[in-house]
Amino acid sequence: MEPVIEGLSLAFGLENIALVILGVLIGVVVGALPGLSSPLAIALLLPFTVTLAPVSAICMMAALYCAGTFGGSITAILINAPGAPPAVATAFDGYPMAKRGEAGRALGLAAFSSVIGGLLSLVVFIVATPLLAKVAVSFRPQEYFALTVFALSMLASISGRSSLRNLIAGGIGVFIATVGNHLATGIERFTFGIPEMTEGVEFVPVLIGLFAVSEMLTQSQAADNVVERIKSVVVKLPSRADIRLVMPTILRSSGIGTFIGILPAEGSTVAAIMGYNEAKRWSKRKHLFGTGIPEGIAGPEAANNAATGGAMVPTLALGIPGSGTTALILAALITHGFRPGPYLIQETPHFVYAIFGAMAVANIAFLVIGLVGAKLFARITLIPRTFLWPMVFGFSVIGAYSLSASFFDVWVMLVAGIVGFMMRRHGFGAAPLVMGLILGRMLEETFSQSMIVMDLEWWRLFESPIVCLFFGLTALSLGWPAVASWRENRRNRRA
Amino acid sequence: MDLALSLVILLLVAFFWYVSTTFEEVSALFDGGIAPEYFPRLMLWIIAILAVLMPFEHAWRVARTGGSGLEEDRKKTVKPIAYITMAVALVIVGAAEWLGTYLTLIVICCTLPALWGERRWLLMIAFGLGFPTAVMVLFTQVFKIYFQPGVLGLSLY
Repeated sequence: MEPVIEGLSLAFGLENIALVILGVLIGVVVGALPGLSSPLAIALLLPFTVTLAPVSAICMMAALYCAGTFGGSITAILINAPGAPPAVATAFDGYPMAKRGEAGRALGLAAFSSVIGGLLSLVVFIVATPLLAKVAVSFRPQEYFALTVFALSMLASISGRSSLRNLIAGGIGVFIATVGNHLATGIERFTFGIPEMTEGVEFVPVLIGLFAVSEMLTQSQAADNVVERIKSVVVKLPSRADIRLVMPTILRSSGIGTFIGILPAEGSTVAAIMGYNEAKRWSKRKHLFGTGIPEGIAGPEAANNAATGGAMVPTLALGIPGSGTTALILAALITHGFRPGPYLIQETPHFVYAIFGAMAVANIAFLVIGLVGAKLFARITLIPRTFLWPMVFGFSVIGAYSLSASFFDVWVMLVAGIVGFMMRRHGFGAAPLVMGLILGRMLEETFSQSMIVMDLEWWRLFESPIVCLFFGLTALSLGWPAVASWRENRRNRRA
Repeated sequence: MDLALSLVILLLVAFFWYVSTTFEEVSALFDGGIAPEYFPRLMLWIIAILAVLMPFEHAWRVARTGGSGLEEDRKKTVKPIAYITMAVALVIVGAAEWLGTYLTLIVICCTLPALWGERRWLLMIAFGLGFPTAVMVLFTQVFKIYFQPGVLGLSLY
């Protein structure tokens, strides 16, 4: 009980609450702005949070994560331009409802569903994280290795145009993680004589480059786009009739979202699309989906916010990111000197409860902030891109530099940005590369330890049932996209 | 296009494989049988195998579903402004150490809006001076981060 009290008192401290609210404000703003996203904001924020207390820094990022997911729905509903990918499905019914003159009702439904989804997933987070950590603490290196392989294999099924390209990007990320001194022997690998690279490639400049600079290069081509002006909106909380109508959808989508969030690598976008599809599948008025019905908003919104709590479970319990954004939170944990994984909960349980408290506050805060300030946040899209993106680039330079006061890191950021821009054009995502980069060290460490423990007899890996289970799941996740495409094709042919 | 992309990846894999042959040798006593090049080479193998499969992915998808969706992003030509922005960013970052952080920020905030077609000069001047100053004051005074003063010795520390 003591860690719970300690954690919650940390979370509800004045400074922490202020930072959480600041995180919510930043999250809603970046969520609302098309092109800006919560991973981008966390990547930019990361170097500056180094000066904060670790608990406050992580709480602020967790709050930003929750609010960013909701923020995207504001512009999805008002101008049919989802501010963030998880809000794509919200626009399907949110925008038609807004066009009918019921924008306030749509925003209210989105906020309400998001809060319920977020809070329900937090219950799962707080119950499942310690339990999962308790199981994981008994894992040996070979089991951890198999778990990491499974997490990376999940890249095959995350959103994006191509599973193969996701896997290649993940592989490149793991390869980049091998740059620097070899842990066991101290031999320099792929450093090309550059002293700054002996400690390996810094996460943060790469993350800033991949998310912020590559997006700036993309946006440079659309600088003259004019965003539609927002009409005045009065946000309304859902009526009793609406709540009764959408509650089953919210509960179902919260379950789906939490489950999808817990799966390594799967994030809010997948959850939102599944939430929408399931809401439609279970509905008695399927034909009305897409015309602006409440269930079409509640389904994806509850699911994408539930995924945020779910994604924190593997991140904190296993050190395996549950989504692209939690991969950045994991990077932040490492930057702050934590060792993510089961020992984090064993050694600093109050830390997990503080994050839980911060996320709960964030959910309530974005309900209030979202309801009061939706009109203002929607107007933020009117900031000219010709000023917005130079600002982002300026922050990127400062962020990359300030971590170790080195211009080499600024170069790393810029190169990562240019490479990210090229990769994106050819269907390679930034999120899989980041996952690979973050999990790479763990993968190599556990691989080497397992091999040494097993006297280099790799087949002895299969002596462990847990390893067999994870490898089985790996095979399933690698094969699933092909099976799903075959099934869809067969269904289409029959139809 | 995928074939060319695949070849580029394979060439990079070959290059890094070659680099891995230049690592210093260590006694097996120290590395426990897992030499420093073992794991990176394993990853290079995996990347190479996946890269070889890449050209077939498009054809496989077209055969199955009539379209791969992979061409959509590539169909849009990259506008010259993206390459110009890239070049300007490279020049600015190249000169950043000499310019110092404050001046670098001013250059970014004055150059990029003008490059992207912004012509509201008063607003641009206000932004070009106001934003960098606000950022520098915040980070030097609040976060106590030291920034390079650069050639003009500009610093708010």
